[in-house]
Amino acid sequence: MTGAENGAGGRGGPGRARLWDRLFASDHVAGWLFVSPAVVLIGLFGVAPIVWSLIISFQQNSLDTSGIWIGLANYRHLMHDPAFAASVRRTIVYTALFVPITLFAALAVAVTLNRRLHGMRFYRTAVFAPVVTSTVATAIMFSWLLDPYFGIVNLFLNKVGVASQSFFQDPSQALYCIVLVTVWGWLGFAVVIYLAALQGIPRELLEAAEIDGATRWRAFWRVQFPLLGPTTLFLVVWLSINALQEFDEIYVITHGGPLASTTVVVYYLFQQAFAFFDAGYATAIAYVVFLGILALTVVQLLLGRKLVHYRS
Amino acid sequence: MNRLRIPFWVTAAFAAVALLILALCLAGCGSSKPSSTITFWQGYTDIERTAIEQSVADFNATNPGFKVQAVFAGNNDYALTKLRTALAAGKAPDISYQYGSSMALLAKLPQVVDLTAKVKEPAFDWNDFFPAVRLATMASGKVLGVPALVDNLALVYNKKLFDQAGVSYPTAQWTWDDFRTAAKKLTNSSAKQFGWAYINDGSEDTVWRFLALLWQAGGDLLTPDNTKAAFNSPAGLKAMTLLYDMANQDHSIYLDSGNDNYLNLFNAGKIAMLWTGPWDISSINAGVEYGVQILPGDVSHATIAGPDNYVIIANGSQRVDDAWKFLSWYLSPKEHLKFAIATGDLPIRESETKLPDYTNVFLKKYPADAVFVANLNNVTKARPNIPAYPKISADLGQAVQAVLLGKLTPQQALQQAEQQVNADIAAGM
Repeated sequence: MTGAENGAGGRGGPGRARLWDRLFASDHVAGWLFVSPAVVLIGLFGVAPIVWSLIISFQQNSLDTSGIWIGLANYRHLMHDPAFAASVRRTIVYTALFVPITLFAALAVAVTLNRRLHGMRFYRTAVFAPVVTSTVATAIMFSWLLDPYFGIVNLFLNKVGVASQSFFQDPSQALYCIVLVTVWGWLGFAVVIYLAALQGIPRELLEAAEIDGATRWRAFWRVQFPLLGPTTLFLVVWLSINALQEFDEIYVITHGGPLASTTVVVYYLFQQAFAFFDAGYATAIAYVVFLGILALTVVQLLLGRKLVHYRS
Repeated sequence: MNRLRIPFWVTAAFAAVALLILALCLAGCGSSKPSSTITFWQGYTDIERTAIEQSVADFNATNPGFKVQAVFAGNNDYALTKLRTALAAGKAPDISYQYGSSMALLAKLPQVVDLTAKVKEPAFDWNDFFPAVRLATMASGKVLGVPALVDNLALVYNKKLFDQAGVSYPTAQWTWDDFRTAAKKLTNSSAKQFGWAYINDGSEDTVWRFLALLWQAGGDLLTPDNTKAAFNSPAGLKAMTLLYDMANQDHSIYLDSGNDNYLNLFNAGKIAMLWTGPWDISSINAGVEYGVQILPGDVSHATIAGPDNYVIIANGSQRVDDAWKFLSWYLSPKEHLKFAIATGDLPIRESETKLPDYTNVFLKKYPADAVFVANLNNVTKARPNIPAYPKISADLGQAVQAVLLGKLTPQQALQQAEQQVNADIAAGM
């Protein structure tokens, strides 16, 4: 408190009014009042459920009756649950395909779109459109495109002499079809990020490479690609976090099937919570998924620190 | 250092706004209704919603003392989840629409009112309700709800496709062989036309059609005391074999992955027969000429009902009494028939079918419903109302799916499912 502020507290009598004035004149109070609606909302809908679900994960809890404390039993059950292990394996396969495919496809598309061409705005909008399309609409569209009997994809395959495929109806194909659907949905997002990064690379660097006799291919991999490092790292982290939580398309198209072949870990969690009403087990899975994502992100960021070149 | 001085009134204004927002947040979660209004959660849109709201308005106009408020609580598929969440939050309604398959889980909730004594009031005339619907209100030996809706599976067929293939229409005497032969004849791979459609997502939608087959063959899902699987039997094998042969030899089944494409395909003339209920009838296009017949039979022509219930939540004895008073009126033969005429829902009481408006208005408006009503007599069994049912359903769903996809033989699938079901029942005890 400065003397100037004390001096301003002349309203009303001394003593109480001065304290009142001082309190309200302090930036702390004003600051907290400014943020209090946000703090209350985040606390109520963010922090409280996170803490609460941690508590539930130590209980046998069906959401309605108050839970029974069972310590780590849910977590122990998890270690020996073959269906959970299988869902984790599927999630890993899914992520290992989804992230690199999206990344490389987006890079290729972004480089293609990073030039001055007539109608480029249209192409850029077209590439971004799937991102702002509802995932449910996307999923329903693909379930028709890839329908084993009536889908247009099989029609084309038949035209070029390939036998009809079962796609979402075939346990050995369904997960890969989900990869395809989600890559399509996420591509535009990654393209936009890459495009912005590409446009931030100074032309002089490419010109210098050209003068030094580098081919375009070489200039791309030796100059542009390293400069995109921070962007690539961001996308790897972001796409991985989302891939590990894949749910919507599976919920709409396959319901985790056929024969559980698309039951990834979050879908398994959903089943436990909302089909079998085992909230304790479901929240335990949620916490394991959370720790898994956290660990993967830390590893990615540490690796990134070594591999990524940051322009100063 | 020149620090920003915020005038007193600005700070005070922001404090007031912040407090107001806080108060609204808290008030929003804690609003309470006067006890003279009871809340009725329902999950319908369209015609049913209008009909429900009309009934409630009629009741409110003629019954002084308390009011009923019908609230759309979101799709019925989530009614159980919503009710449980509302109970956890202490904000439950007085009446809630619930699926019959949820009764065992509802039985575990102390807040759901036991209606065993109330339904025996002579004025309620409990035995007037069809046996299938009464059965579905029971769990743990108690009556925990009153019937809200009943339906069942019947054979719905596209007449034009039968005519084109030169197959005579299904009769009430059709056997499984008749059904299989017809499905095969109605399948035309070059025209991408299928005899039958089966929902193959492994959900309850997959399972309940299999249960109908199992019961037709004389089998059952569990032992009478609900302690062990009983479907790995000659009857179970017969039912699974029919599905296996039709899907993998005849290729006469369109396997729907659970996104309800089958109905669009039925409308497009690509699927000749469905095993479905009254709820799909309203979605059949006007131009499609269809017929309805009871399911084909083996030992019997058993079908399965999917009855839904209204449950009452204990929010104080006065409110329970009011809720009961409303439901008794709402489910009286005259009122329910009015509702049925508005919506095409089936009658839930035997006496409704004796009222003049049933023949003169209801059957004229919904001719297909005559078969569904008659078919209620083929509902002789119900799914076991035990807490392990959702898991049993999931196990069996996987088995049926494996058979339809030809990944397991009927014998293997039944054995595997039997082991899982027995383990789930044991774990649930």
